[in-house]
Amino acid sequence: MDFEAIRSYLPLYWDALGLTVRIGWQGVALALALGVLCAVTLHLRLPVLRRLVAGYIELFRNTPLLVQLFFLYFALPKIGLRMSPAVCGVLGLGLLCGAYMAETIRSGLESIPPIQTESAQSLGMTRMQVFCHVILPQAVSRSVPGLVANVIFLLKETSVFSTVSLMDLMFTAKDLIGMYAKTMECLTLLVVFYLIMLLPVSVLGSLLERRLRHAEFGP
Amino acid sequence: MKKAVIRRAAAAVMILALTLALSVAAYASDGEYRTLDEIKDSGVINIGVFSDKSPFGYVDENGDYQGYDVYFANRIGEDLGVEVNFVSTEAASRIEYLQTGKVDIILANFTVTEERAEEVDFALPYMNVSLGVVSPEDAVIESLDDVGEDDQVIVISGTTAETYLTKNEPDIKLQKYDAYAEAKTALENGNGVAWANDNTEVMAFAIENPGFVVGIPTLGSADTIAPAVTKGNDTLLDWLNEEIKSLGEEEFFHADYEATLLDTYGADYEETLVVEGGLVAGAGETADAPVETAKAGG
Repeated sequence: MDFEAIRSYLPLYWDALGLTVRIGWQGVALALALGVLCAVTLHLRLPVLRRLVAGYIELFRNTPLLVQLFFLYFALPKIGLRMSPAVCGVLGLGLLCGAYMAETIRSGLESIPPIQTESAQSLGMTRMQVFCHVILPQAVSRSVPGLVANVIFLLKETSVFSTVSLMDLMFTAKDLIGMYAKTMECLTLLVVFYLIMLLPVSVLGSLLERRLRHAEFGP
Repeated sequence: MKKAVIRRAAAAVMILALTLALSVAAYASDGEYRTLDEIKDSGVINIGVFSDKSPFGYVDENGDYQGYDVYFANRIGEDLGVEVNFVSTEAASRIEYLQTGKVDIILANFTVTEERAEEVDFALPYMNVSLGVVSPEDAVIESLDDVGEDDQVIVISGTTAETYLTKNEPDIKLQKYDAYAEAKTALENGNGVAWANDNTEVMAFAIENPGFVVGIPTLGSADTIAPAVTKGNDTLLDWLNEEIKSLGEEEFFHADYEATLLDTYGADYEETLVVEGGLVAGAGETADAPVETAKAGG
Protein backbone atom coordinates (compact mmCIF):
# COMPACT_ATOMS: atom_id res chain seq x y z
CA MET A 1 0.00 0.00 0.00
CA ASP A 2 1.34 3.39 -1.00
CA PHE A 3 -0.13 5.71 1.63
CA GLU A 4 1.47 8.75 0.06
CA ALA A 5 -0.52 8.06 -3.10
CA ILE A 6 -3.70 7.45 -1.13
CA ARG A 7 -3.33 10.81 0.59
CA SER A 8 -2.85 12.59 -2.71
CA TYR A 9 -5.91 10.87 -4.21
CA LEU A 10 -8.22 11.65 -1.29
CA PRO A 11 -9.35 15.11 -2.44
CA LEU A 12 -10.35 13.65 -5.81
CA TYR A 13 -12.37 10.93 -4.11
CA TRP A 14 -14.13 13.48 -1.88
CA ASP A 15 -15.02 15.51 -4.97
CA ALA A 16 -16.35 12.40 -6.64
CA LEU A 17 -18.34 11.47 -3.55
CA GLY A 18 -19.82 14.97 -3.48
CA LEU A 19 -20.86 14.72 -7.10
CA THR A 20 -22.25 11.22 -6.72
CA VAL A 21 -24.28 12.15 -3.64
CA ARG A 22 -25.54 15.40 -5.17
CA ILE A 23 -26.73 13.83 -8.38
CA GLY A 24 -27.83 10.70 -6.57
CA TRP A 25 -30.16 12.53 -4.21
CA GLN A 26 -31.64 14.71 -6.90
CA GLY A 27 -32.30 11.49 -8.77
CA VAL A 28 -33.89 9.94 -5.68
CA ALA A 29 -36.17 12.95 -5.21
CA LEU A 30 -37.27 12.81 -8.84
CA ALA A 31 -37.74 9.06 -8.66
CA LEU A 32 -39.87 9.25 -5.51
CA ALA A 33 -42.08 11.96 -6.95
CA LEU A 34 -42.51 10.05 -10.20
CA GLY A 35 -43.02 6.79 -8.35
CA VAL A 36 -45.83 8.12 -6.17
CA LEU A 37 -47.58 9.79 -9.10
CA CYS A 38 -47.36 6.69 -11.25
CA ALA A 39 -48.38 4.28 -8.52
CA VAL A 40 -51.42 6.37 -7.60
CA THR A 41 -52.38 6.64 -11.26
CA LEU A 42 -52.21 2.89 -11.62
CA HIS A 43 -53.99 2.20 -8.37
CA LEU A 44 -56.88 4.55 -9.09
CA ARG A 45 -57.03 3.20 -12.65
CA LEU A 46 -57.19 6.65 -14.17
CA PRO A 47 -58.15 6.29 -17.85
CA VAL A 48 -55.54 7.01 -20.57
CA LEU A 49 -52.93 8.17 -18.01
CA ARG A 50 -52.81 4.61 -16.76
CA ARG A 51 -51.69 3.35 -20.17
CA LEU A 52 -49.04 6.05 -20.46
CA VAL A 53 -47.69 5.22 -17.03
CA ALA A 54 -47.60 1.50 -17.79
CA GLY A 55 -45.68 2.25 -20.99
CA TYR A 56 -43.19 4.43 -19.15
CA ILE A 57 -42.59 1.81 -16.47
CA GLU A 58 -41.99 -0.98 -18.96
CA LEU A 59 -39.72 1.19 -21.08
CA PHE A 60 -37.46 2.23 -18.24
CA ARG A 61 -37.49 -1.00 -16.26
CA ASN A 62 -36.42 -2.99 -19.27
CA THR A 63 -33.54 -0.87 -20.51
CA PRO A 64 -30.23 -0.44 -18.67
CA LEU A 65 -29.28 2.96 -17.26
CA LEU A 66 -26.24 2.94 -19.51
CA VAL A 67 -28.46 2.85 -22.59
CA GLN A 68 -30.73 5.56 -21.22
CA LEU A 69 -27.76 7.83 -20.50
CA PHE A 70 -26.35 7.21 -23.96
CA PHE A 71 -29.68 8.17 -25.43
CA LEU A 72 -30.11 11.29 -23.32
CA TYR A 73 -26.55 12.52 -23.79
CA PHE A 74 -25.51 11.40 -27.24
CA ALA A 75 -28.72 10.94 -29.24
CA LEU A 76 -30.92 13.83 -28.14
CA PRO A 77 -28.40 16.54 -29.13
CA LYS A 78 -28.78 15.30 -32.72
CA ILE A 79 -32.36 16.55 -32.64
CA GLY A 80 -31.31 19.74 -30.90
CA LEU A 81 -32.02 18.85 -27.30
CA ARG A 82 -28.81 19.44 -25.42
CA MET A 83 -28.45 18.77 -21.71
CA SER A 84 -25.45 19.00 -19.41
CA PRO A 85 -23.95 15.73 -18.14
CA ALA A 86 -25.30 16.44 -14.66
CA VAL A 87 -28.86 16.96 -15.92
CA CYS A 88 -28.61 13.75 -17.93
CA GLY A 89 -27.42 11.95 -14.82
CA VAL A 90 -30.30 13.18 -12.68
CA LEU A 91 -32.87 12.51 -15.39
CA GLY A 92 -31.50 9.07 -16.16
CA LEU A 93 -31.44 8.03 -12.53
CA GLY A 94 -34.80 9.61 -11.77
CA LEU A 95 -36.58 8.06 -14.73
CA LEU A 96 -35.05 4.63 -14.24
CA CYS A 97 -35.66 4.47 -10.55
CA GLY A 98 -39.05 6.18 -10.81
CA ALA A 99 -40.23 3.07 -12.62
CA TYR A 100 -38.95 0.85 -9.82
CA MET A 101 -40.40 3.13 -7.14
CA ALA A 102 -43.79 3.06 -8.86
CA GLU A 103 -43.89 -0.71 -8.82
CA THR A 104 -42.76 -0.87 -5.20
CA ILE A 105 -45.41 1.60 -4.06
CA ARG A 106 -48.07 -0.10 -6.18
CA SER A 107 -47.29 -3.42 -4.55
CA GLY A 108 -47.66 -1.68 -1.18
CA LEU A 109 -51.02 -0.26 -2.23
CA GLU A 110 -52.25 -3.60 -3.49
CA SER A 111 -51.19 -5.43 -0.38
CA ILE A 112 -53.97 -3.71 1.57
CA PRO A 113 -56.92 -6.13 1.54
CA PRO A 114 -60.01 -4.87 -0.37
CA ILE A 115 -62.13 -5.51 2.71
CA GLN A 116 -60.63 -2.38 4.25
CA THR A 117 -61.82 -0.28 1.33
CA GLU A 118 -65.25 -1.85 1.52
CA SER A 119 -65.49 -1.36 5.28
CA ALA A 120 -64.38 2.26 5.02
CA GLN A 121 -66.86 2.93 2.24
CA SER A 122 -69.67 1.34 4.23
CA LEU A 123 -68.83 3.83 6.97
CA GLY A 124 -69.61 6.56 4.47
CA MET A 125 -66.09 7.68 3.53
CA THR A 126 -65.60 9.00 0.03
CA ARG A 127 -63.23 7.29 -2.38
CA MET A 128 -60.60 9.99 -1.80
CA GLN A 129 -60.94 9.75 1.97
CA VAL A 130 -60.52 6.00 1.87
CA PHE A 131 -57.41 6.36 -0.21
CA CYS A 132 -55.78 9.15 1.81
CA HIS A 133 -56.65 8.01 5.32
CA VAL A 134 -56.85 4.25 5.11
CA ILE A 135 -54.91 2.84 2.19
CA LEU A 136 -52.00 5.24 1.63
CA PRO A 137 -50.55 5.37 5.17
CA GLN A 138 -50.43 1.61 5.42
CA ALA A 139 -49.12 1.20 1.90
CA VAL A 140 -46.29 3.66 2.50
CA SER A 141 -45.15 1.90 5.63
CA ARG A 142 -45.24 -1.45 3.87
CA SER A 143 -43.29 -0.08 0.92
CA VAL A 144 -40.45 1.37 2.94
CA PRO A 145 -38.09 -1.63 2.87
CA GLY A 146 -38.49 -1.82 -0.90
CA LEU A 147 -38.06 1.92 -1.30
CA VAL A 148 -34.85 1.94 0.73
CA ALA A 149 -33.54 -0.93 -1.34
CA ASN A 150 -34.36 1.11 -4.46
CA VAL A 151 -32.50 4.14 -3.12
CA ILE A 152 -29.38 2.08 -2.49
CA PHE A 153 -29.70 0.47 -5.89
CA LEU A 154 -30.03 3.88 -7.50
CA LEU A 155 -27.01 5.35 -5.72
CA LYS A 156 -24.94 2.40 -6.89
CA GLU A 157 -26.14 2.82 -10.46
CA THR A 158 -24.16 6.07 -10.56
CA SER A 159 -21.18 3.88 -11.38
CA VAL A 160 -22.05 4.04 -15.09
CA PHE A 161 -21.80 7.83 -15.17
CA SER A 162 -18.42 7.70 -16.88
CA THR A 163 -20.36 7.39 -20.14
CA VAL A 164 -21.45 11.00 -19.88
CA SER A 165 -18.09 12.19 -18.55
CA LEU A 166 -19.28 12.67 -14.97
CA MET A 167 -16.43 12.07 -12.54
CA ASP A 168 -18.28 9.82 -10.13
CA LEU A 169 -16.49 7.48 -7.71
CA MET A 170 -16.10 4.61 -10.14
CA PHE A 171 -14.77 6.78 -12.96
CA THR A 172 -12.38 8.60 -10.64
CA ALA A 173 -10.92 5.30 -9.52
CA LYS A 174 -10.62 3.98 -13.07
CA ASP A 175 -9.13 7.24 -14.24
CA LEU A 176 -6.47 7.26 -11.52
CA ILE A 177 -5.63 3.63 -12.23
CA GLY A 178 -5.23 4.50 -15.90
CA MET A 179 -2.86 7.37 -15.12
CA TYR A 180 -0.81 6.04 -12.22
CA ALA A 181 -1.50 2.29 -12.20
CA LYS A 182 -1.89 2.10 -8.41
CA THR A 183 -4.66 -0.43 -8.72
CA MET A 184 -4.84 -1.72 -5.19
CA GLU A 185 -4.85 1.72 -3.57
CA CYS A 186 -7.48 3.09 -5.94
CA LEU A 187 -9.83 0.13 -5.63
CA THR A 188 -9.56 -0.01 -1.85
CA LEU A 189 -10.39 3.68 -1.64
CA LEU A 190 -13.31 3.03 -3.99
CA VAL A 191 -14.81 0.42 -1.69
CA VAL A 192 -14.28 2.61 1.36
CA PHE A 193 -15.98 5.57 -0.30
CA TYR A 194 -18.97 3.57 -1.48
CA LEU A 195 -19.37 2.37 2.10
CA ILE A 196 -19.12 5.94 3.39
CA MET A 197 -21.92 6.86 1.02
CA LEU A 198 -24.19 3.86 1.40
CA LEU A 199 -23.83 2.60 4.98
CA PRO A 200 -25.63 5.64 6.44
CA VAL A 201 -28.46 5.15 3.95
CA SER A 202 -28.72 1.53 4.90
CA VAL A 203 -28.71 2.28 8.63
CA LEU A 204 -31.15 5.19 8.33
CA GLY A 205 -33.36 2.96 6.23
CA SER A 206 -33.63 0.32 8.90
CA LEU A 207 -34.31 2.96 11.57
CA LEU A 208 -37.06 4.45 9.42
CA GLU A 209 -38.51 1.02 8.79
CA ARG A 210 -38.71 0.24 12.49
CA ARG A 211 -40.27 3.58 13.23
CA LEU A 212 -42.99 3.15 10.61
CA ARG A 213 -43.66 -0.44 11.52
CA HIS A 214 -44.09 0.75 15.08
CA ALA A 215 -46.86 3.04 13.88
CA GLU A 216 -48.44 0.22 11.93
CA PHE A 217 -48.33 -2.60 14.42
CA GLY A 218 -47.78 -0.94 17.78
CA PRO A 219 -44.85 -1.64 20.11
CA MET B 1 -32.20 -0.37 16.75
CA LYS B 2 -28.66 -0.30 18.04
CA LYS B 3 -28.26 -3.90 17.09
CA ALA B 4 -29.00 -3.16 13.47
CA VAL B 5 -26.42 -0.40 13.43
CA ILE B 6 -23.79 -2.61 15.04
CA ARG B 7 -24.61 -5.47 12.71
CA ARG B 8 -24.18 -3.29 9.67
CA ALA B 9 -20.99 -1.70 10.96
CA ALA B 10 -19.58 -5.15 11.62
CA ALA B 11 -20.54 -6.18 8.11
CA ALA B 12 -18.76 -3.11 6.75
CA VAL B 13 -15.59 -3.94 8.64
CA MET B 14 -15.73 -7.48 7.34
CA ILE B 15 -16.15 -6.26 3.79
CA LEU B 16 -13.21 -3.94 4.18
CA ALA B 17 -11.02 -6.67 5.61
CA LEU B 18 -12.01 -8.92 2.74
CA THR B 19 -11.14 -6.23 0.18
CA LEU B 20 -7.76 -5.73 1.76
CA ALA B 21 -7.09 -9.44 1.86
CA LEU B 22 -8.08 -9.78 -1.77
CA SER B 23 -5.97 -6.85 -2.87
CA VAL B 24 -2.98 -8.18 -0.97
CA ALA B 25 -3.53 -11.51 -2.64
CA ALA B 26 -3.72 -9.73 -5.97
CA TYR B 27 -0.47 -7.97 -5.15
CA ALA B 28 1.22 -11.22 -4.29
CA SER B 29 0.29 -12.65 -7.65
CA ASP B 30 1.12 -9.40 -9.42
CA GLY B 31 2.73 -10.05 -12.75
CA GLU B 32 0.88 -13.21 -13.60
CA TYR B 33 1.95 -14.28 -17.07
CA ARG B 34 2.42 -17.15 -19.48
CA THR B 35 5.87 -17.85 -20.83
CA LEU B 36 6.56 -18.26 -24.53
CA ASP B 37 6.47 -22.05 -24.24
CA GLU B 38 3.21 -22.04 -22.34
CA ILE B 39 1.63 -19.89 -25.03
CA LYS B 40 2.90 -22.17 -27.78
CA ASP B 41 1.66 -25.26 -25.94
CA SER B 42 -1.80 -23.80 -25.45
CA GLY B 43 -2.04 -22.96 -29.14
CA VAL B 44 -3.65 -19.58 -28.47
CA ILE B 45 -2.18 -16.17 -27.74
CA ASN B 46 -4.34 -13.50 -26.11
CA ILE B 47 -3.65 -10.07 -27.52
CA GLY B 48 -5.31 -6.94 -26.17
CA VAL B 49 -6.30 -4.45 -28.89
CA PHE B 50 -8.71 -1.57 -29.24
CA SER B 51 -12.03 -2.31 -30.83
CA ASP B 52 -13.02 1.32 -31.43
CA LYS B 53 -9.85 3.05 -32.54
CA SER B 54 -9.93 3.14 -36.30
CA PRO B 55 -7.62 2.69 -38.19
CA PHE B 56 -5.34 1.12 -35.57
CA GLY B 57 -7.58 -1.37 -33.85
CA TYR B 58 -11.26 -1.64 -34.65
CA VAL B 59 -13.98 -4.10 -35.50
CA ASP B 60 -15.19 -3.90 -39.08
CA GLU B 61 -18.73 -4.35 -40.36
CA ASN B 62 -18.22 -8.12 -40.52
CA GLY B 63 -17.24 -8.28 -36.87
CA ASP B 64 -13.55 -8.89 -37.63
CA TYR B 65 -10.71 -7.05 -35.95
CA GLN B 66 -8.82 -4.78 -38.34
CA GLY B 67 -6.15 -2.09 -38.28
CA TYR B 68 -2.44 -1.39 -37.99
CA ASP B 69 -2.09 -3.03 -34.58
CA VAL B 70 -4.25 -5.97 -35.57
CA TYR B 71 -2.25 -6.58 -38.76
CA PHE B 72 0.86 -6.92 -36.57
CA ALA B 73 -0.97 -9.11 -34.06
CA ASN B 74 -2.02 -11.51 -36.80
CA ARG B 75 1.58 -11.76 -37.95
CA ILE B 76 2.69 -12.54 -34.40
CA GLY B 77 0.18 -15.37 -34.25
CA GLU B 78 1.34 -16.66 -37.62
CA ASP B 79 5.03 -16.64 -36.67
CA LEU B 80 4.38 -18.25 -33.30
CA GLY B 81 2.19 -20.86 -34.93
CA VAL B 82 -0.74 -20.15 -32.66
CA GLU B 83 -4.21 -18.75 -32.99
CA VAL B 84 -4.81 -15.14 -31.99
CA ASN B 85 -7.57 -14.44 -29.52
CA PHE B 86 -8.33 -10.72 -29.63
CA VAL B 87 -9.36 -9.13 -26.36
CA SER B 88 -10.97 -5.72 -26.60
CA THR B 89 -9.48 -3.22 -24.12
CA GLU B 90 -10.15 0.31 -22.99
CA ALA B 91 -7.33 2.79 -22.70
CA ALA B 92 -7.38 2.89 -18.91
CA SER B 93 -7.37 -0.87 -18.37
CA ARG B 94 -4.44 -1.84 -20.58
CA ILE B 95 -1.97 -2.19 -17.71
CA GLU B 96 -4.41 -4.18 -15.58
CA TYR B 97 -5.06 -6.64 -18.40
CA LEU B 98 -1.37 -7.47 -18.46
CA GLN B 99 -0.87 -7.53 -14.72
CA THR B 100 -3.73 -9.91 -14.16
CA GLY B 101 -2.70 -12.18 -17.01
CA LYS B 102 -5.87 -11.60 -19.03
CA VAL B 103 -3.77 -10.96 -22.10
CA ASP B 104 -0.25 -11.98 -23.08
CA ILE B 105 0.51 -8.90 -25.15
CA ILE B 106 -1.04 -5.44 -25.35
CA LEU B 107 -1.04 -4.13 -28.88
CA ALA B 108 -3.51 -1.34 -28.27
CA ASN B 109 -1.56 1.62 -29.60
CA PHE B 110 0.27 1.76 -26.31
CA THR B 111 2.56 4.81 -26.01
CA VAL B 112 5.80 4.17 -24.14
CA THR B 113 6.04 6.35 -21.02
CA GLU B 114 8.18 6.23 -17.91
CA GLU B 115 5.20 5.65 -15.62
CA ARG B 116 3.94 2.76 -17.69
CA ALA B 117 7.42 1.24 -18.03
CA GLU B 118 7.42 0.81 -14.25
CA GLU B 119 4.36 -1.40 -14.50
CA VAL B 120 4.86 -3.33 -17.74
CA ASP B 121 7.72 -4.26 -20.04
CA PHE B 122 7.77 -2.60 -23.45
CA ALA B 123 9.24 -4.32 -26.48
CA LEU B 124 10.87 -2.39 -29.34
CA PRO B 125 8.71 0.36 -30.85
CA TYR B 126 6.80 -0.02 -34.12
CA MET B 127 5.30 3.44 -34.53
CA ASN B 128 5.96 7.11 -33.78
CA VAL B 129 3.40 9.27 -32.10
CA SER B 130 2.91 12.68 -30.58
CA LEU B 131 -0.13 14.43 -29.17
CA GLY B 132 -2.51 16.51 -31.26
CA VAL B 133 -5.66 18.55 -30.79
CA VAL B 134 -8.65 18.57 -33.15
CA SER B 135 -11.44 21.14 -33.05
CA PRO B 136 -14.36 22.34 -35.19
CA GLU B 137 -13.23 24.49 -38.12
CA ASP B 138 -15.42 27.42 -37.13
CA ALA B 139 -13.69 27.67 -33.73
CA VAL B 140 -10.24 26.24 -34.27
CA ILE B 141 -7.99 25.76 -31.27
CA GLU B 142 -4.51 26.50 -32.62
CA SER B 143 -2.75 26.76 -29.30
CA LEU B 144 -3.69 25.72 -25.80
CA ASP B 145 -3.96 29.45 -24.99
CA ASP B 146 -7.09 29.51 -27.18
CA VAL B 147 -8.87 27.34 -24.65
CA GLY B 148 -11.11 29.64 -22.63
CA GLU B 149 -11.55 29.55 -18.89
CA ASP B 150 -14.89 27.75 -19.02
CA ASP B 151 -14.12 25.64 -22.06
CA GLN B 152 -13.67 21.93 -21.71
CA VAL B 153 -11.21 19.84 -23.64
CA ILE B 154 -12.22 16.25 -24.31
CA VAL B 155 -9.73 13.54 -23.41
CA ILE B 156 -9.92 9.80 -23.00
CA SER B 157 -9.25 8.43 -19.57
CA GLY B 158 -5.92 6.65 -19.31
CA THR B 159 -4.27 8.19 -22.40
CA THR B 160 -1.03 10.13 -22.62
CA ALA B 161 -3.01 13.23 -23.61
CA GLU B 162 -4.80 13.13 -20.28
CA THR B 163 -1.58 12.73 -18.32
CA TYR B 164 0.14 15.47 -20.32
CA LEU B 165 -2.63 18.03 -19.83
CA THR B 166 -3.13 17.14 -16.17
CA LYS B 167 0.56 17.64 -15.52
CA ASN B 168 1.40 20.58 -17.75
CA GLU B 169 -1.87 22.47 -18.13
CA PRO B 170 -3.64 22.04 -14.79
CA ASP B 171 -5.90 25.04 -15.51
CA ILE B 172 -7.52 23.50 -18.56
CA LYS B 173 -10.76 21.77 -17.70
CA LEU B 174 -10.91 18.24 -18.99
CA GLN B 175 -14.00 16.33 -20.00
CA LYS B 176 -13.11 12.69 -19.67
CA TYR B 177 -14.56 9.67 -21.42
CA ASP B 178 -13.93 5.96 -21.15
CA ALA B 179 -14.02 5.03 -24.78
CA TYR B 180 -13.03 6.49 -28.14
CA ALA B 181 -16.53 6.16 -29.54
CA GLU B 182 -17.99 8.32 -26.77
CA ALA B 183 -15.29 10.96 -27.00
CA LYS B 184 -15.80 11.28 -30.73
CA THR B 185 -19.56 11.60 -30.42
CA ALA B 186 -19.10 14.18 -27.68
CA LEU B 187 -16.86 16.24 -29.96
CA GLU B 188 -19.35 15.98 -32.82
CA ASN B 189 -22.12 17.08 -30.50
CA GLY B 190 -20.06 20.06 -29.37
CA ASN B 191 -19.83 19.03 -25.73
CA GLY B 192 -16.22 20.21 -25.64
CA VAL B 193 -14.24 22.80 -27.59
CA ALA B 194 -11.58 20.34 -28.72
CA TRP B 195 -10.34 16.80 -28.38
CA ALA B 196 -6.75 16.06 -27.37
CA ASN B 197 -5.33 12.64 -28.13
CA ASP B 198 -2.57 10.91 -30.07
CA ASN B 199 -2.01 13.02 -33.17
CA THR B 200 -2.48 9.99 -35.41
CA GLU B 201 -5.93 9.56 -34.01
CA VAL B 202 -7.03 13.20 -34.23
CA MET B 203 -5.71 13.42 -37.81
CA ALA B 204 -7.75 10.37 -38.74
CA PHE B 205 -10.79 11.95 -37.13
CA ALA B 206 -10.35 15.23 -39.02
CA ILE B 207 -9.95 13.36 -42.30
CA GLU B 208 -13.06 11.28 -41.73
CA ASN B 209 -15.18 14.11 -40.36
CA PRO B 210 -15.47 17.19 -42.54
CA GLY B 211 -15.87 20.31 -40.44
CA PHE B 212 -13.06 19.42 -38.08
CA VAL B 213 -9.41 20.40 -38.35
CA VAL B 214 -6.30 19.55 -36.41
CA GLY B 215 -5.33 22.98 -35.02
CA ILE B 216 -2.40 21.63 -33.01
CA PRO B 217 -0.64 18.83 -34.92
CA THR B 218 2.07 18.18 -32.34
CA LEU B 219 2.07 18.80 -28.64
CA GLY B 220 4.47 17.71 -25.94
CA SER B 221 7.27 15.30 -26.65
CA ALA B 222 7.59 12.85 -29.49
CA ASP B 223 6.94 9.34 -28.27
CA THR B 224 6.84 5.85 -29.63
CA ILE B 225 4.30 3.07 -29.57
CA ALA B 226 5.37 -0.44 -28.69
CA PRO B 227 3.93 -3.82 -27.71
CA ALA B 228 3.86 -4.42 -23.98
CA VAL B 229 4.05 -7.64 -21.97
CA THR B 230 3.61 -8.38 -18.29
CA LYS B 231 6.58 -7.25 -16.23
CA GLY B 232 9.10 -10.04 -16.00
CA ASN B 233 7.84 -12.06 -18.96
CA ASP B 234 11.31 -12.13 -20.51
CA THR B 235 10.86 -15.10 -22.82
CA LEU B 236 7.96 -13.42 -24.61
CA LEU B 237 9.68 -10.01 -24.55
CA ASP B 238 12.87 -11.39 -26.12
CA TRP B 239 10.91 -13.21 -28.76
CA LEU B 240 8.96 -10.04 -29.60
CA ASN B 241 12.13 -7.99 -29.89
CA GLU B 242 13.68 -10.54 -32.23
CA GLU B 243 10.46 -10.66 -34.20
CA ILE B 244 10.37 -6.88 -34.62
CA LYS B 245 14.01 -6.82 -35.70
CA SER B 246 13.55 -9.55 -38.26
CA LEU B 247 10.32 -8.02 -39.54
CA GLY B 248 12.37 -4.86 -40.17
CA GLU B 249 14.37 -6.71 -42.79
CA GLU B 250 11.30 -7.35 -44.88
CA GLU B 251 9.93 -3.84 -44.17
CA PHE B 252 6.88 -5.40 -42.59
CA PHE B 253 5.58 -2.23 -40.96
CA HIS B 254 5.67 -0.36 -44.25
CA ALA B 255 3.51 -3.10 -45.68
CA ASP B 256 1.31 -2.83 -42.59
CA TYR B 257 0.99 0.93 -43.13
CA GLU B 258 0.10 0.47 -46.78
CA ALA B 259 -2.51 -2.13 -45.93
CA THR B 260 -4.19 -0.35 -43.06
CA LEU B 261 -3.25 3.32 -42.79
CA LEU B 262 -2.72 4.46 -46.37
CA ASP B 263 -6.41 5.11 -46.96
CA THR B 264 -6.60 7.40 -43.97
CA TYR B 265 -3.31 9.25 -43.98
CA GLY B 266 -2.06 8.97 -47.54
CA ALA B 267 1.56 8.28 -48.42
CA ASP B 268 2.91 11.47 -46.85
CA TYR B 269 2.88 10.24 -43.31
CA GLU B 270 4.37 6.81 -43.95
CA GLU B 271 7.93 7.70 -42.99
CA THR B 272 6.73 9.88 -40.13
CA LEU B 273 4.70 7.18 -38.48
CA VAL B 274 6.36 3.87 -39.25
CA VAL B 275 9.21 2.58 -37.11
CA GLU B 276 10.97 -0.35 -38.75
CA GLY B 277 13.03 -2.93 -36.91
CA GLY B 278 12.59 -1.11 -33.61
CA LEU B 279 14.90 1.68 -34.76
CA VAL B 280 13.56 5.18 -34.29
CA ALA B 281 14.95 6.93 -37.35
CA GLY B 282 15.43 10.25 -35.65
CA ALA B 283 13.95 12.24 -38.51
CA GLY B 284 11.16 11.58 -40.93
CA GLU B 285 10.75 13.21 -44.29
CA THR B 286 7.68 15.30 -43.66
CA ALA B 287 8.06 18.76 -42.20
CA ASP B 288 6.00 18.15 -39.08
CA ALA B 289 7.69 14.88 -38.26
CA PRO B 290 8.26 14.40 -34.56
CA VAL B 291 12.00 14.79 -34.84
CA GLU B 292 13.76 14.38 -31.57
CA THR B 293 12.90 11.44 -29.38
CA ALA B 294 13.23 13.39 -26.20
CA LYS B 295 12.17 12.18 -22.79
CA ALA B 296 9.44 9.60 -22.72
CA GLY B 297 6.97 11.65 -20.72
CA GLY B 298 3.68 12.97 -22.02
